[in-house]
Amino acid sequence: MPQDMPPVGGYEAVQYKRNLPAKGFRPATIMLGAGLVMTYGWYKLAIGIREQNEYAREKMWSRIHLIPALQAEEDRDLVRRHLADQAREKELLGENIKVYNSDRYVRPTFAIAPGNITK
Amino acid sequence: MAARKPIFNQQVLYDTTPLPESIPKVKELGTSSAPLLSAAFFIGARCKDYNDDFMQCKTDNPGRGEFECLKEGRRVTRCARSVIDDINKSCLQQFRAHWECLEDNNQQLWQCRPAEWKLNKCVFENLKMEKVIPDQPKNSTPVHLRPHQIYAHRPIPREETPWIPPTQAAKSP
Repeated sequence: MPQDMPPVGGYEAVQYKRNLPAKGFRPATIMLGAGLVMTYGWYKLAIGIREQNEYAREKMWSRIHLIPALQAEEDRDLVRRHLADQAREKELLGENIKVYNSDRYVRPTFAIAPGNITK
Repeated sequence: MAARKPIFNQQVLYDTTPLPESIPKVKELGTSSAPLLSAAFFIGARCKDYNDDFMQCKTDNPGRGEFECLKEGRRVTRCARSVIDDINKSCLQQFRAHWECLEDNNQQLWQCRPAEWKLNKCVFENLKMEKVIPDQPKNSTPVHLRPHQIYAHRPIPREETPWIPPTQAAKSP
């Protein structure tokens, strides 16, 4: 019995490619479109960030203008409390004991509280 | 421990002893945060020298500034108070509108531009003080004069236009 042989002229080509037109836009167009969208996004983002920087600068300068007034008020209050403490100590102990080995002002950690609370 | 701040906010931690007579009295500002923020740039415009003096004194006396800088501090407070008083006298309505807007909007200045423009106009016409934010980029409109604020919750109505101070208007064509 003769052996099976390929048909004369060889087999037909196997169709592995789809015989359909490519859908959608060309890849280059999609790339370009995505690039445009992202460029626009970055542009808006940059504008937003710059505006935020300006807001921050405005806020910072408003604070810079206010800090001396706030600090002056706070300092007066601290001095008032300190002098009152010193006077009270003098009255109770007869002398002012130097607690720290320097002349720096140290914010008190403890404060006196009145014995009788009336309000 | 020195860095720890004792805040006297408890009811019993009060000490009402006044300052001794040897230290001159000064009336405190007595203003809450929103009006202060609203007037901040005018305080800066009028009191810059006093403020700088005070901060310089604090820098020159580290650790003793509380005592050494009382005089400068009184000047600062008096000057800031004079600004607030003047604004209250001549621009009370606009001032109040602006700081109430700030108070309603988390103290974000960009939410209250229309009120701010009216206040700036009134203050410039009556007190000759101008809001200037230093160190801004030269090639863009100052942020408080832009008719559109990106981050504002509500768009600024079309009929509200920024009031440009004459000095700024002369600079930009």
